[in-house]
Amino acid sequence: MWELIIIQPMTNLLLWIYDALGHGPHMFGLAIILFTVLIRAITWPLNASQVKGAQAMQELQNDKEWQDIQKKYAKDREKLAQEQMRIYKERNINPFASCLPTLIQFPIIIGLYQSIIRALSVAPLDMLKLARTMYSFQNAQNIIPLNSKFLWMDLGRPESIQILGFALPTLAVVVALTTYVQSKLTMPASTNPNDQSAMMSSQMSIMMPLMLGWFALNFASGIAVYFITSNLLGIIQYAATGRANWSGLLPGGGKKTSGKK
Amino acid sequence: MKTKSLMWIALFALLMATLLSACAGGSQTSTNWHGFSADAERAYLSNGSFVFAIDLKNGAQIWQYPPEADSKLMFYAAPVLTEDGQLLVGSAGSNHALFSLDPASGKENWAAPFAKNKGGWIASPLSLNGVIYAPNTDGFLYILDAQGNESAPAVELGGALWSAPTVNGDNLYVSSLDHHLHILNLANPADFQKVDLGGALPSSATPAQDGVYVSSFSSKVTRVTADGSMRTVAEAKNWIWGAPILDDETLYYADLSGNIVSLNLKDEQVNWNTAQSGDSIIGSLLFQNGQIYAALESGSLIALDKDGKLVWEKTVGGKIYTAPIAANDLILVAPYQADFALAAYDALGKQAWTFTPKK
Repeated sequence: MWELIIIQPMTNLLLWIYDALGHGPHMFGLAIILFTVLIRAITWPLNASQVKGAQAMQELQNDKEWQDIQKKYAKDREKLAQEQMRIYKERNINPFASCLPTLIQFPIIIGLYQSIIRALSVAPLDMLKLARTMYSFQNAQNIIPLNSKFLWMDLGRPESIQILGFALPTLAVVVALTTYVQSKLTMPASTNPNDQSAMMSSQMSIMMPLMLGWFALNFASGIAVYFITSNLLGIIQYAATGRANWSGLLPGGGKKTSGKK
Repeated sequence: MKTKSLMWIALFALLMATLLSACAGGSQTSTNWHGFSADAERAYLSNGSFVFAIDLKNGAQIWQYPPEADSKLMFYAAPVLTEDGQLLVGSAGSNHALFSLDPASGKENWAAPFAKNKGGWIASPLSLNGVIYAPNTDGFLYILDAQGNESAPAVELGGALWSAPTVNGDNLYVSSLDHHLHILNLANPADFQKVDLGGALPSSATPAQDGVYVSSFSSKVTRVTADGSMRTVAEAKNWIWGAPILDDETLYYADLSGNIVSLNLKDEQVNWNTAQSGDSIIGSLLFQNGQIYAALESGSLIALDKDGKLVWEKTVGGKIYTAPIAANDLILVAPYQADFALAAYDALGKQAWTFTPKK
């Protein structure tokens, strides 16, 4: 099922873009970038709702009524949950709105990685699987094998640049940096010292860059190209809303001196 | 809350790492089919992190290399015996070394590291007159002496090189996935010509008079002569993965649709064509003692006579992607994802033994 609904369509879409670009050197990297742009365009409304949902949840944390019920029903979890649901309903907030786009990212990341590995066919068995994955309209004979070179990288292998005898993982660093910037920009300022949501966001903004950087360090660099493109598009999308928290990028930034309401 | 959120993050990281790692290949389980070869006493099997030597008499393991699993090694290529008694095998894992082993004991003679940006080994090397010609997935043909030192500059051919070079006369023929057959002069390998065959070439060329026959993903069998001229001698219904085999004036080949074809080279007419319905043949055919052996992907080994009639068919198990080989009076076949990694059959199709690597 996974093969049929995720791997095959993704691989064929990637190959179709690659073929349309002329399947020469560097074109597979470009195909990954265009593929990411396409995925981002498709999930744009979802990402927008994620941003909106996260903002609403964050603002709620600074809301006086919300803070009051936290204190009032601190020892009655059932009542607290009822009151929280009432506020969600009254203010038309979906508490899960910020989770859905993230969940959608999982199959895309994993499917893309598997599609890249299959498309690049580093072993004969991968090549055989690729041949059987390709839809009949694909120009298989001409496309195969794919050219895995993109700029200085081999997209089928982890990336590094040799400088003074050291292998520097530049792409992993860029992945970590762009992930950090994106998560910091989307993390709104909070005045509530007990704001659990802000605490979690803060942890995520450290953990996610490290984790994605680690993936970029150890897995095919094609996935790093996806991460970087996706992060940059995310930053652009968020900046376009005019709500980007640029001060949050600096140490000690992201803390407002006054709260709302 | 803090502990809980950290737990979720850790769980997410673990899930992602597991899923991505699953596609990247494990440390000991082979992510590709096995390569194997044999001499008069032993079979040599590349299987995941190990190379095994197996006694041809009874299928017992004689040695394994390395003695302990090394997650950086992954052996796909068929080990090759040299004239001076070395067993050469390269790793396709993150450690790209090319190893020379003692075929009797499995002890390492030397290891050429092939580090940095050099690729792994899917092709077997060719040893000729004390020189090792080693085609690499990075598109280079490396030229080494018998001690593993580069004795001449590597020749950049392009594409990924997945099959052993073929020697014929003064020339070396090297297939590449970049659609080209490269013809190198042994006296000056850097001086080479290349012939575009219109599809990837995953297998070696078959030597013939003044040239070679070569199959490709263009679904054609092509004759290429030493001067680089080419002519299509047969067109198949699907990709041809394995190398064609030659018996006097008859050429045999099989395609991914399961067709086995006998071609008369005198008039280039098909003698017979027998289809294995719904099956695929990936590896080359084997011609031995007047019979043609084919390993079917569905896990069967079949024997045909020279007229294309089925002599016997045996279910081996798993899936079979590699060509069967002859060793003494046995036909060896290496199934993938089966209960065993190597099986031996006699000419009548009776199973002599199987070999299962110890867990």
